[in-house]
Amino acid sequence: MSAASSIRPGLRRVEHVMGTPVSLDIADDRPATELATLADEVFAWLREVDARFSTYQPDSEVCRFDRGELLLSEASADLRRVMERCADLWDATDGFFDAYATGGLDPSGYVKGWAVQVASDRLRAAGADNHCLNAGGDVRVRGHSSTGLPWRIGVRHPWNPSAVCLVLSGTDLAVATSGVYERGHHVRDPRRGTPARGLRSVTVVGHDLGLADAYATAAVAMGVAGIGWLDRLPGYQHAVVTDDARCLHSTNLPLTD
Amino acid sequence: MRRALFAISGLAASTTALVVLKAAPDTSTVAQQVPAPATSGAGESTTAAEPTAEPAEATATASPRPRTSRSAEPGRKTASPSAGRAGPSSDATKKPPAARPSTAAPQPAVRRVVGPVVSNEFGNVQVAISLDGARIVDAEALELPERTAQSDQRSSQVDDRYSGTAGLVVQRQSADLDTVSGATATSESYQRSLQAAIDRAR
Repeated sequence: MSAASSIRPGLRRVEHVMGTPVSLDIADDRPATELATLADEVFAWLREVDARFSTYQPDSEVCRFDRGELLLSEASADLRRVMERCADLWDATDGFFDAYATGGLDPSGYVKGWAVQVASDRLRAAGADNHCLNAGGDVRVRGHSSTGLPWRIGVRHPWNPSAVCLVLSGTDLAVATSGVYERGHHVRDPRRGTPARGLRSVTVVGHDLGLADAYATAAVAMGVAGIGWLDRLPGYQHAVVTDDARCLHSTNLPLTD
Repeated sequence: MRRALFAISGLAASTTALVVLKAAPDTSTVAQQVPAPATSGAGESTTAAEPTAEPAEATATASPRPRTSRSAEPGRKTASPSAGRAGPSSDATKKPPAARPSTAAPQPAVRRVVGPVVSNEFGNVQVAISLDGARIVDAEALELPERTAQSDQRSSQVDDRYSGTAGLVVQRQSADLDTVSGATATSESYQRSLQAAIDRAR
């Protein structure tokens, strides 16, 4: 182990996609060319999603659908699935996850997590059982890291960018964090139309990264009431840091030292 | 007859005294707590109202706030002394109509009285009231606590029913991390992030 630790198997790559740095770590011991192809496919998929679901590019599928130039029945299966999920999320979050919160259609609160989840599913289908994909803080891990241990995922400390406040560990986890510290109070309470306050950081842990990301964003929008909502959310664990620096988390959160 | 005249003049004298005495403390008891902007003219009161344009946004977003008993109490305290006084003084002014113009004439139509800043466990509360004579025609909150009684009640309710673990957030300089979950990082903030350090170390 000591000799092998200097030459760890696998591949690491960082690229900027969807306006955010995306870090890929494939820990499987496979030929470099195979790993490179898998990584190429992951980033190609994320770029494809960015082009099709971007709200900034007027010719994207989302923009054409929003303008009414494209009927839902004519839309791609991906867009139809995303729209379905956004409607479900609106219902599940009591309207606090709202793809139309900004006026026009903006499903990016679900799309990023979903895109990473699909990429991870494809990696596993291609036989890369051990990987970690992190897109701007939204993480999907499977299997073990190249150390042979379960993946160790830090949750960023909401006041100190170089520290973490919790460390999670697992072999099949989706971890999404939403917070107000990175871009100010950008999460809006869709009911009051004012910036959400009360919760500085919300981390949701489960199996589907798209849902985890949307749940985390919705809880931030709910404010303090989001804590109780998360507590009753089936199948997903949470860790919340309030504006007054309290940390509340599920008892069954997969914490490690 | 003489006795009756004495009684009437006595009544008139006492009611006039009441009006004179009550009209003056009406302003001073409320205003003495805030010496500077107390009894200002109508022109001044509009300039005093200007800074409220900013807090007004906060008031609008949390319209149920003043209704919560705890945060509204200090406001009621400042308003109630003059409200209680409004009864007897207006009664008195009705009887001797001659006495009224002499005391009320130099006063502006609507006075604005700013109450003291009252601190409670949720923060500071300051209320301004507008008076037409002795009648309160408007009341507004100049300052309300960020953390309101309502939100605190709600969070304590959450704590009571919460099934998870609660404590203060701690900082950990943990080694051996494979990755970091955090709120969406921009390219600039990524450069300073722990995730960037992890990516560089590999």
